[in-house]
Amino acid sequence: MALLQIAEPGQSPQPHERRLAVGIDLGTTNSLVAALRSGVAEPLPDADGNVIVPSAVRYLADHVEVGRSAKDAVQDDPFNTVVSVKRLMGRGLADVKQLGEQLPYRFVAGESQMPCIETVQGVKSPVEISAEILRVLRLRAEASLGGELVGAVITVPAYFDDAQRQATKDAARIAGLNVLRLLNEPTAAAVAYGLDRQAEGLVAIYDLGGGTFDISILRLTRGVFEVLATGGDSALGGDDFDHAIADWILAQAGVSSDLAPGAQRTLLKIACDTKEALSTTESVALEYGGWRGSLGRAVFEELIESLIARSLKACRRAIRDADIDAQAIGAVVMVGGSTRVPRVRQAVGELFGRQPLTDIDPDKVVAIGAAIQADTLAGNGRDGSELLLLDVIPLSLGLETMGGLMEKIIPRNTTIPVARAQDFTTYKDGQTAMMVHVLQGERELVTDCRSLARFELHGIPPMVAGAAKIRVTFQVDADGLLNVAARELASGIEATIQVKPSYGLTDGEIARMLEESLDKAGADKAMRALRERQVEARRLLEAVAGALQADGERLLDAEERAAIELQISELQQALDGQDGDLLARRTKSLSDITDAFAARRMDASVQAALAGRRLDDIEE
Amino acid sequence: MSNTSYFDLFDLPPAFVIDLEKLAANYRERARSVHPDRFVDASEREQRQALERSANLNESYRTLKSPTQRARYLLALRGHDVPLEATVQDPEFLLQQMQWREDLEDLQESGEHAGIASFKAQLKKARQELDDAFEQCWQDDSRLAEAERLVRRMQFVDKLSQEVRQLEERLDD
Repeated sequence: MALLQIAEPGQSPQPHERRLAVGIDLGTTNSLVAALRSGVAEPLPDADGNVIVPSAVRYLADHVEVGRSAKDAVQDDPFNTVVSVKRLMGRGLADVKQLGEQLPYRFVAGESQMPCIETVQGVKSPVEISAEILRVLRLRAEASLGGELVGAVITVPAYFDDAQRQATKDAARIAGLNVLRLLNEPTAAAVAYGLDRQAEGLVAIYDLGGGTFDISILRLTRGVFEVLATGGDSALGGDDFDHAIADWILAQAGVSSDLAPGAQRTLLKIACDTKEALSTTESVALEYGGWRGSLGRAVFEELIESLIARSLKACRRAIRDADIDAQAIGAVVMVGGSTRVPRVRQAVGELFGRQPLTDIDPDKVVAIGAAIQADTLAGNGRDGSELLLLDVIPLSLGLETMGGLMEKIIPRNTTIPVARAQDFTTYKDGQTAMMVHVLQGERELVTDCRSLARFELHGIPPMVAGAAKIRVTFQVDADGLLNVAARELASGIEATIQVKPSYGLTDGEIARMLEESLDKAGADKAMRALRERQVEARRLLEAVAGALQADGERLLDAEERAAIELQISELQQALDGQDGDLLARRTKSLSDITDAFAARRMDASVQAALAGRRLDDIEE
Repeated sequence: MSNTSYFDLFDLPPAFVIDLEKLAANYRERARSVHPDRFVDASEREQRQALERSANLNESYRTLKSPTQRARYLLALRGHDVPLEATVQDPEFLLQQMQWREDLEDLQESGEHAGIASFKAQLKKARQELDDAFEQCWQDDSRLAEAERLVRRMQFVDKLSQEVRQLEERLDD
């Protein structure tokens, strides 16, 4: 027996070592990765001590640059340098044109209607570009934490729709990250704030970032963060302030707005610097194309007034939806770099009738909250009393019905997870197929809502109009992602769709990108696969051991227990070898044989059984 | 189908007037044990169970939280289902309904804020009266028809309140 145990690189020296998990704030302008170290959640710095990675990606002939150096190249190499890619996530080309700004890229339509960008390295989708940023953050985290990550919590604007969420999850997969959860940014901020200040009661989070705006109202009760209402605008942020200033400069200078991409970037840079300077000074001297002048704070505030008004409108709606008085809100927390603008703070203060809190670092708070959630989800220090996040869907989900109208199935601000069914019928005699058109949005007309997916239910037995009964079930998981199933009740014919939005990637595309990214990282795929299987096997062994210790006596008879223990020892043997397939098979065997035990444990943990519909009969 | 009622689930007596604080506290406690966040590295089946149970828990909570849904559910527990869509004669209420409709249409044209506030107050008062009346009769077998009528009226008031909210939203544009 060895006196000293020496762990091999990448292997856990002991089974109860802390599992490495991180929180990632994938922002429009900047991104961060944070983790819990010695009980404190903090952003992880690079070798130079910088925690912020500018969300800029530059494609060069033989490599990719991410961060500061890419951001600096934006004027000289505008076609190959992508900034604010988050604004393109989950969108179609037509949406991008509607963003109302000129983006200096060479757009091409991709396979899946995404607005892809032509670069020196070929055509890149917004998902791939985001994955480059995520990969840099993953590598930073692995280097500073010294091991492979169990997974990551990635934040998204609360107001992101299904397509935008799916795109973010796909980007993480391509970057080689296991997504533990997609977490809404304001909820992440509330966690960081709530735990730091021991806050209880009603809290509003006003989150104005570079490209997106969210307002969330939460109730904090002893570690439970319950979102009562959320609202926002996924195309409103500091970038719009920059564009307002840029347009003003062009008008003053009498220059046409039809600029070459490099010149446009230069102008936006001047606009952004001016905006930032105006947070601390009253007036900024400007020079552009021979024109000299200055922009005072009062004029700037006029330029952005309508943008701020849009955010305030969303706040009022959220207050109404939460069904509370604005006066009952105990704290208003400002998040996102754009809340540094004094007029924003003032307007929010007036609306809520209280001074908003600006003493929490608006750039870091989201990543910190995500790191805390990631640590909890990874199973570190689980004692049953820690935090629980109860979030909502930001936009109503529904179906197209007769006359091009949207019928809501799940209204906005419904707590997730949620499953809800509604029955429809045929409108023609002998109708044998039905089109199911899934929509997201608040408006009555289908054309004003976002189309998420379409699928057809075939083989309905011919009946007179109105006799068939088609039950459509919507299910939204804890990431806020939707699944839809349709079934004709008499015949049992059904169709199910994991909503893959019109602007999403196909599974084939993801597989290809994943492969490319692994090649690029120079990872030995077989080795990596074996490693992943080992991690999975250890995780399972640990979980089963814990379960046996807690409830084995109570819930298993001797025979069942012996069977489980046999599988445990077989899996342990496989772990000592290098046969990945054997390991996978035995992991599955142990998992299968403990399923019933797991179900019993869960039943026991909820004392009263929950009544209601089962999803089983809908999904299978 | 299990015979456990939503009330059992939250450890509450099956009543119309309930302790909402206790309902919320028990909801949070149950949510802790079933939420998918607790099963991130469990097997796929366990994750699905957690999703399913969590969705059911949320649905039960939503039902008991809303007085109208709670009233409807109580009648269903007594074997008296109130279908969502059915045209039922309620002449006594019809006049009131028409009056409200007319008032709302006027408000939609004028957009007058004071008027909206007083209309909301009216609806709130009507709502309270319906709640009080329901509490008086729902347990009485001989008054089930009356209880059902009251639930329908509640549904109408809810719908109207929803329309007022939409009006407020529109005026905020």
